[in-house]
Amino acid sequence: MPKPIVLHWPTIENYAGDWYNMGVLEPFANFSFVNYPSFWAILLIFFVAVFYLGRFWQSRESHLQILINEANLKTQQIQELEKVNQELESKNRELYSKELGLTLANKKLQSLEEAKSKFVSVTTHQLRTPLAAIKWTLDMAAKGQLGTVTDEQKKYLSQGLISTERVISIVNDLLKIDAIDAERADYTFRPTDLVKLISNIIFEFTNQAAIKKINFLFLKPQNTIPLVEMDPDKVRMVLENLIDNAIKYTSSGGKVTIKISDERINSAEGAIEIKIIDSGIGIPSSETDKIFQKFFRASNAIKAEPDGSGLGLFIARDIIEKHNGAIWFENDPGDGTVFSFTLPLHQKKV
Amino acid sequence: MDNAEAKKVLIVEDDEFLRSLNAKRLETEGFKVVVAVDGQNAIDLIPQEMPNLIFLDLLLPGIDGFEVLKRIKADEKTKAIPVIVFSNLGQKEDIEKAHNLGAADFLIKANFTLDDVVVKIKEILK
Repeated sequence: MPKPIVLHWPTIENYAGDWYNMGVLEPFANFSFVNYPSFWAILLIFFVAVFYLGRFWQSRESHLQILINEANLKTQQIQELEKVNQELESKNRELYSKELGLTLANKKLQSLEEAKSKFVSVTTHQLRTPLAAIKWTLDMAAKGQLGTVTDEQKKYLSQGLISTERVISIVNDLLKIDAIDAERADYTFRPTDLVKLISNIIFEFTNQAAIKKINFLFLKPQNTIPLVEMDPDKVRMVLENLIDNAIKYTSSGGKVTIKISDERINSAEGAIEIKIIDSGIGIPSSETDKIFQKFFRASNAIKAEPDGSGLGLFIARDIIEKHNGAIWFENDPGDGTVFSFTLPLHQKKV
Repeated sequence: MDNAEAKKVLIVEDDEFLRSLNAKRLETEGFKVVVAVDGQNAIDLIPQEMPNLIFLDLLLPGIDGFEVLKRIKADEKTKAIPVIVFSNLGQKEDIEKAHNLGAADFLIKANFTLDDVVVKIKEILK
């Protein structure tokens, strides 16, 4: 063992005062750290070790902290998601119940609508039967077909007949009024053979025209008319209204022409034009701007036919406009009227 | 009427009053009138009576007017007999259906007087 080198560095007795004098620290009297370099080395290693251990511990701690933080964050996120999920679920339930409510309401409306239609058709039928009976009886009685009647009796019977006709005309209009309520969304557009549709309608009116000895003409172009996208039931109503008017307001022996024209097919419009031409009483020029108004009836029309409802042209315009077509008329008071309307070949999707 | 070979018209109508009025009016005009009160009655009567013209109501108890019309037109023996549908129905579906089944005409009762009806019959039987 190397001989310790004594350096005059302060020794323990300089520091430890009383404890030293009491003899507790006597064995260390000559102890000097300086005399033990290996002790310093061990101390150094110890400190270094403690330092690194500390750092390691710290980093381990911070890693853990990060993990804990992350875990907390995740938990928080999960909680938030769960909350959102719950909210969504409750919204979903709400929506579902709303939808259910809507479906039920819709069903209810639909059945109401069906009930209404059924009501109209049944009522109309139930009303028409007794009305026909009254009409026939009064008509036969007034004409003396049920036995002799005096002129005065005849007058009263005829008045009764006129009143009956008025009720019948209202009942007939009840069926048409249904159409005004329909929105474009309720329309069922499908490619339709217009010529066939018009031929069928003409079949319905042949009698009415024949009774008034009206010459009924149907003109169509030589080329085959392409199918036209329309709601055929609604367009039928327009044609029925216009043809009915043409016959009603044309005097006996007159002429009613229905003309289909394909001249506008290749224009930007791409439409078919239909004209109903009559040789009737026309529309007074002072009233032409009101003719499509609801319940409006031209003064000469009221005189010629007291029982109209003033709805026919209003309904017709509504229907044609819902087809993106146009309706108008040219008028020659005393010499007849031409009602024209266009129907585009195709309906734009809305 | 003086015509020995009076034309025979069958009226198919379930409403008794309308039936009797119509029959009365046609008889005054000199037609021989036969009546049927429902669809089955009409189907039984038509081949026996072989009328010159048939007035057919659509809403009938049991077999309805459309079915009667179908059977008249399906039978070789009776298919040439003109049938005038005489009803208070008058929706386009009804008119079209009758037209397609071969009806000669479709009249809505409330819209015509019996005089109009007589004109119509004479025109068809001309």
